[in-house]
Amino acid sequence: MKRWDLIVIGTGLAGLTAARTAAEAGARVLVVGRGIGSLALFGNSIDVLGEVPPGVNLDAGVSDWIGTHPGHPYARTGWEGIAEALVAFQELFPSPYRFVAAGLTNSLVPTGTGTLRPTYLLPITMRAGAGLVAEETLVVGFRGFKDFQGDTVSLHLKCRGVNISLPRYGLEGLTALALARLMDEEPFRKSLGEAIRGQKAGEKRIGLPAILGLCDPAAVLEDLEGVIGARVFEIPMLPPSIPGLRIFNRFRERLIAKGATFLMGNPVTGVTVKGGRCEGIRVCNPPLETEYRAEQYILATGRFLGGGLWAEMDRIVEPVFHLPVSQPAGRGDWFRERFFQPEAHPIHAAGIATDRSLRPSGEGGAPLLTNVRVAGSILANHQSIEEHSREGIAIATGYRAAQEALKA
Amino acid sequence: MDLQTDVLIIGGGATGAGIARDLALRGIPSILVERGDFTSGASGRNQGLLHSGGRYAVNDPEAARECISENRILRRIAPHCIEDTGGLFVSLPEDGAEYRATFIRACEVAGIETIPLSPRETLSLEPRLTPDTIGAVQVPDGAIDPFTLVVENARDAESRGARFFLHTEATGLLREGSRVTGATLRDRLTGQEFTIAAPWVVNATGAWANQILALAGLKIGIALSKGSMLITNTRLTERVINRCRPPASGDIIVPNDTVSILGTTSSRSDDLEQYEVTPDEVSLLVDELSRLIPSLRGERFTRAYAGVRPLVQVGETDDDRGISRGFALIDHEGRDGVKGLVTITGGKLMTYRLMAERTTDFICARMGLRVPCLTQAQRLPGAGLGHALQDRLLWLRRQTPASRGEILCDCELVPREAVDAILREGKVRELQDILHRTRLAKGTCQGGFCVYRLLGLLNEMRKAEGRGDSNRILRAFLEERWKGIRPVLWGISLKEEELIESIYKGLFNLNAAGNDGSAGGGE
Amino acid sequence: MTPATEPRNPARTLPDLCVRCATCMAVCPVARVTPRFPGPKQAGPGAQRFRSAAEASVDDWIELCTACRLCDTACPAGVPISELNLLAKAKFLDERGRGLRDWLLVRSDLFGELAARYSRFVNPLLQNRTVRWLLDRTLAIDRRRMLPPYEYPTFRKWFADRQAPESAGRPRIAYFHGCFTNTNEVDVGKAAVALLEAAGFTVTVPPQRCCGIPRLGVGDLRGAREMGQRNLSLLLPTVREGTDLVFSSTSCGMMLRHEYGPLLNLPGAQELAVRLFDICEFLVRRQEENDAAVRFKPLPRKVAYFTPCHLRALNIGLPALELLRLVPGVEVAMLDTECCGLGGLYGFRKEKYPISEEIGKGLKKEVGRLDPDTIVTDCEGCRMQLRALTGREVLHPVQLLRDALAEG
Repeated sequence: MKRWDLIVIGTGLAGLTAARTAAEAGARVLVVGRGIGSLALFGNSIDVLGEVPPGVNLDAGVSDWIGTHPGHPYARTGWEGIAEALVAFQELFPSPYRFVAAGLTNSLVPTGTGTLRPTYLLPITMRAGAGLVAEETLVVGFRGFKDFQGDTVSLHLKCRGVNISLPRYGLEGLTALALARLMDEEPFRKSLGEAIRGQKAGEKRIGLPAILGLCDPAAVLEDLEGVIGARVFEIPMLPPSIPGLRIFNRFRERLIAKGATFLMGNPVTGVTVKGGRCEGIRVCNPPLETEYRAEQYILATGRFLGGGLWAEMDRIVEPVFHLPVSQPAGRGDWFRERFFQPEAHPIHAAGIATDRSLRPSGEGGAPLLTNVRVAGSILANHQSIEEHSREGIAIATGYRAAQEALKA
Repeated sequence: MDLQTDVLIIGGGATGAGIARDLALRGIPSILVERGDFTSGASGRNQGLLHSGGRYAVNDPEAARECISENRILRRIAPHCIEDTGGLFVSLPEDGAEYRATFIRACEVAGIETIPLSPRETLSLEPRLTPDTIGAVQVPDGAIDPFTLVVENARDAESRGARFFLHTEATGLLREGSRVTGATLRDRLTGQEFTIAAPWVVNATGAWANQILALAGLKIGIALSKGSMLITNTRLTERVINRCRPPASGDIIVPNDTVSILGTTSSRSDDLEQYEVTPDEVSLLVDELSRLIPSLRGERFTRAYAGVRPLVQVGETDDDRGISRGFALIDHEGRDGVKGLVTITGGKLMTYRLMAERTTDFICARMGLRVPCLTQAQRLPGAGLGHALQDRLLWLRRQTPASRGEILCDCELVPREAVDAILREGKVRELQDILHRTRLAKGTCQGGFCVYRLLGLLNEMRKAEGRGDSNRILRAFLEERWKGIRPVLWGISLKEEELIESIYKGLFNLNAAGNDGSAGGGE
Repeated sequence: MTPATEPRNPARTLPDLCVRCATCMAVCPVARVTPRFPGPKQAGPGAQRFRSAAEASVDDWIELCTACRLCDTACPAGVPISELNLLAKAKFLDERGRGLRDWLLVRSDLFGELAARYSRFVNPLLQNRTVRWLLDRTLAIDRRRMLPPYEYPTFRKWFADRQAPESAGRPRIAYFHGCFTNTNEVDVGKAAVALLEAAGFTVTVPPQRCCGIPRLGVGDLRGAREMGQRNLSLLLPTVREGTDLVFSSTSCGMMLRHEYGPLLNLPGAQELAVRLFDICEFLVRRQEENDAAVRFKPLPRKVAYFTPCHLRALNIGLPALELLRLVPGVEVAMLDTECCGLGGLYGFRKEKYPISEEIGKGLKKEVGRLDPDTIVTDCEGCRMQLRALTGREVLHPVQLLRDALAEG
């Protein structure tokens, strides 16, 4: 029976970061995911902490935040831990498709509803969206592409918008993936660029849905900017997310190159725990259940959507290790009365509590499993949706969990 | 703008629309005003059950007879609003064979046809029922689509000269001495005020009857009964499933298109707008109905909702002994000395036509007209949309002949063309109107994906601009949606909710101050 | 591996699992190239909400699903999308009926032996333009599709006639060669035998029939079940005596291992599945347990490895890649694009050929970019498609590994 150094459960950004960190350090890594993680849904730019206003340096902003939120996952890593992990993340995306920040502060970038959203690291395909000036911006939508409503975006950004139809390519009714793959083809993007140039009325920046190619976005960007004669940027839209798939594919490619094994499509259905250690996990691909064993394990299964947490009618459980879940008292307390409120719904703070080295802890803080670490959004005491900290938490805790596992 | 007509109907529920149609068929002009869209009250917040009358057979034989009679009429005049599912009254061991025998006898007395079924027959018809069942009784229950029913009544009335003002509320009653001569009205979307003069004003506002009567300084005895219901993601049974026991909370499951509706709880309420379903009510329904369908606990629920039904108190119906105890037709001249004002309330969706007939009969009599009622035989216009994939796809192909249709709602297969067609009619005035007239946002994700697309479409057509901005509408929609889904958030529905919240609050940042639609460009 | 004990969800509740997130839309190769297929989300759990067993099938789009199963591996919610599609397709085709073409195409095992016997006459005919034109016109088998030539002697005949090596004291291993190896790619079988023998086994070739996957392709569940039953009665005696069984075709393997049980519900399926392995998976395990059981000599070769969809569905990682990495001098690049587009018999059908070709386009480009000496992939369908797309040499990994076997 093959024995791994590390098994990572979860293929979201936290799991991938953990797996990559360990694999780059030479560990034999197995990654197990039920499906593609949340990158395919929400992966766009890298949020670290949207609560820090643009203009304020993140190092100070995050450190202050940790001071007032001592239970937050960032308190486990500190700003230094976040910064180190972000640098490692950036190294995975060398030029030309890089992730960059506007100095050490958040940028405001437009979204698919025409709102502005604070974020930190931007892929170069989104950079020109930061700090846009309405009068200089044109938003281009595609007729028949329902997941990006260009008119909504331009209306709210108070800039000009056009909807483009390219009948020759049968654009109507196409999916995001179809558009992205068409963009990967040079003749297509050049003729699209020409069509956009024809609609341009002196604008200096052109916003498009985030479909600028799956394989070679940097080339797509360069060609479009060349043909149109203006800067071009991607605007995040309804899932699935093409920029997120790029991130996923890049991690997968690197992991396989580093000898990691990638299992995707089946759930972990059970674990063997003896004397406070995990001895193995079982993955079910009917009619078979296969056991995999490792020295160390990282649980990065996400929240409810990813399957890391599961809500029964009266309580929240963690289905893989059956770890205790820090949670509100009862179902009546999970959600607030209104959907939009300044404070997050209490259920969002639910999750797994850990010790300093991210091992799951029980009451009193003692670790429950000595060779299991927890990373990503499944951790307790954050509100990543409202805080805009989804990717930051995933990268920082994934990185830290792998480091801790390698130390052990 | 000031208008006049013969009869002003206040309330666009089943009763009001039914009266408009009945009047139109008898050649009497009318105008109907409704505060919201059609079926904003109890007509749109019930189970969609076409009663056989079985439910009332033991306790209220008169209501049972009324139901079975209207049941047969509705099947005749509105077949496209009805799915003839049939219904079962299912007995569990604790319900006893004795009650079952009483039930069958009572149905016989009321004229409701019954077929007793053995446990094995019952389970072969509805395999998801508990194997504990001691048998069932088949009755002619069915499912009815109240919105289509009301819209088709209105459409038919309109084609015969009646007029309708939606999103229009009555702000006062015009008086000439002891006579009510019309009403002052306000368009709730534009704020425009106007009057409609009419010799007869019909108060068909159901549970809101006293709000209108208050405008004339009147009040009647109405108790409000709140009933809560749950909707499943898929259809649980083919037939209506009733528990064969004296009526109680959590005893009925009605198939409705692709879903099933579980009901109901019943509690006295004094708040007309209190539609919130509590976790306890949800648990009660799931617990009780799991006795009938054991797998219910693992079922996915997409929404909970409540309706407020007006119950007319004893004393209000004495004026007219011919009227069933179920509803009340009150002539305020006889009761309060106020002429030209009639209130019709109480009753249920099943008897809307009968209520309309009695009201119209009464007005005709007072007008000195002898015109027979035609609504028992005259079929409603329109065609229904079946819930089977076949019906959906055929419909889809009719809507989108080019086969390149842009499906706005993936869950319920609603193409852009269907929305275009409704917009072309020019009658819809706000987002919810479009949602009522299509199946947009009625599926698994409850509008999580399609409403964004729909608003984009409206923006493209520059339809959203005039009435404020689309992100404000989007936020309002999500807030309204929240009322329905919050009570059922556990299991898979909770996963779905995390997805939707991540999109709108996370990715689209709609929660942030300034991002409620007023966000401008630049920094 | 052990049998899974978790009970399966009843089919009716399966659409409930879908959270409408659209991750599957980001991987489906068919929805990417044609708007006629609405994608896994809608064709699978979406349509399932409306289906009722009593009603006739109407969704003819279901025929466009290639059954690649990528949606299953991507879905974060555990919806068995391709199974829903397969059942719907079966019902649709049961009602509509299958033509002569399908009848012929799925009987590869019957005609294969015969065609191989007379390959000298058959092969020129298959390459003949008039014959292909006729097949196109009469049977709607696309004339642009290269028909694979037959070989004689067949693998079975070669195996029966050869001088078997000394086998005393060596453990036994049984080999499931599948139809294509037997009659069209005999060298794959020879290579498999050579490798297994080099790993210290005595190879047996139990009697076997077509696995039945072509019948699934035409939605013929009854036919597939019959093939399965026959194979089980032929193969179970071998595994019951304690001999493991390996396959070299990932599609046959997926059918035998995962469809006989959960989908076709055949008695004995699980018993077979626990002793059935992909040949590379088996050899990797052997290498781990028996420290380098097979030794390789240097083989300087630039290799591009393509992951078949059904290998992803088997969810065993990339064992062929692990083995190739053991060969000194072999330099492996990944062709990690999704799906080659053939979809088994799918790509032979005239009405589907354009879809199949369009899906494969990206792969062709990628091969051009990498410019390898040899392309390697585990599935015969992918090999056929890659040959047609690129005109290059395409091998099964065992062929390359056999060439690298150290002497003695």
